[in-house]
Amino acid sequence: MICPNCGHDNLPGAEECAQCMQDLTHLDRPCAQDRIERALMEEPVRSLQPARPVSVRPTTTVRQAVQIMVENSVGAVLVLGDGGKLLGIFSERDVLNRLAGLRDQYEELPVSHFMTPDPETVSADDKIAFALHKMDGGGYRHLPVMAEGKPQGIISVRDILRFVSQLCFE
Amino acid sequence: MDLAKNLKIESVCRLNMSGPVALSPRDSVRQAVSVMQQHRIGCVVVVQDGKVTGIFTERDLLKRIVAAGRPLTLSLAECMTPNPVTVRSSDPIGLALRRMTEGGYRHLPVLDEQDRPVGVLSVRRIMRYLVEHFPQTVYNQPPDPNAVQKDRDGA
Repeated sequence: MICPNCGHDNLPGAEECAQCMQDLTHLDRPCAQDRIERALMEEPVRSLQPARPVSVRPTTTVRQAVQIMVENSVGAVLVLGDGGKLLGIFSERDVLNRLAGLRDQYEELPVSHFMTPDPETVSADDKIAFALHKMDGGGYRHLPVMAEGKPQGIISVRDILRFVSQLCFE
Repeated sequence: MDLAKNLKIESVCRLNMSGPVALSPRDSVRQAVSVMQQHRIGCVVVVQDGKVTGIFTERDLLKRIVAAGRPLTLSLAECMTPNPVTVRSSDPIGLALRRMTEGGYRHLPVLDEQDRPVGVLSVRRIMRYLVEHFPQTVYNQPPDPNAVQKDRDGA
């Protein structure tokens, strides 16, 4: 880590130059290498045009929730409580990993039994790189987009890939 | 390194996918589901005589089994998606990305030059590739984007 002020070679990650005390913290901030990386760092989640979330109540049965997912062609529904509060998310993956072949007669049970509670969320102003980080880190394919404590939209990994592929192939 | 360029020159085989989890069309949905649960994957490839004849995904499970109220004893031949869109392991990653985003697919079976299945490329693996391409940008995201300090403490 070369100090831009005096040229001293510091240890990587140093906060200030050991020789001239120059502040080096800005050197560690990521800087974009190409236009796609810059777009991921600078464009907010809202430019993915998050879809309006499809939601169910915690008392909705699994059968109804699955029907709603199929009818709306979505892979996940948000589970909203009173006042539109986000309680959880119920996805295809939950059907696969928690229900199919593992339980009998789950169709009439409430979706709140099998949802993923308190999912990770993003806000519309967060950068796309931040959303990508959350998805990759947690292994999520969907993230609710929040505004004033309520889910206003939902983004999926495919929205991010579409964004990247549009930039690459335009 | 320019991502747009890398997507053109790097081929799918570079992504080190795990081998395809393959079943026969005669196998039951129950078998497919338990294999998918074990391997924590979203799809299995349906193979007959060494060739891919279909793919069975969690979406198929949702639509054609759970929502339709059909039993898990059904054979995959009856509920798989036949003749899925595929890529070759020598194809550029960009082509795979384009096929996925245009068709809305989450999984593409990957074939070798003799059309034998060698893996499955998932949307998650492509996401991983992006993250690996931009590790600084993605991994250096703060836990809360609004709490970034412009200066060091005490500065």
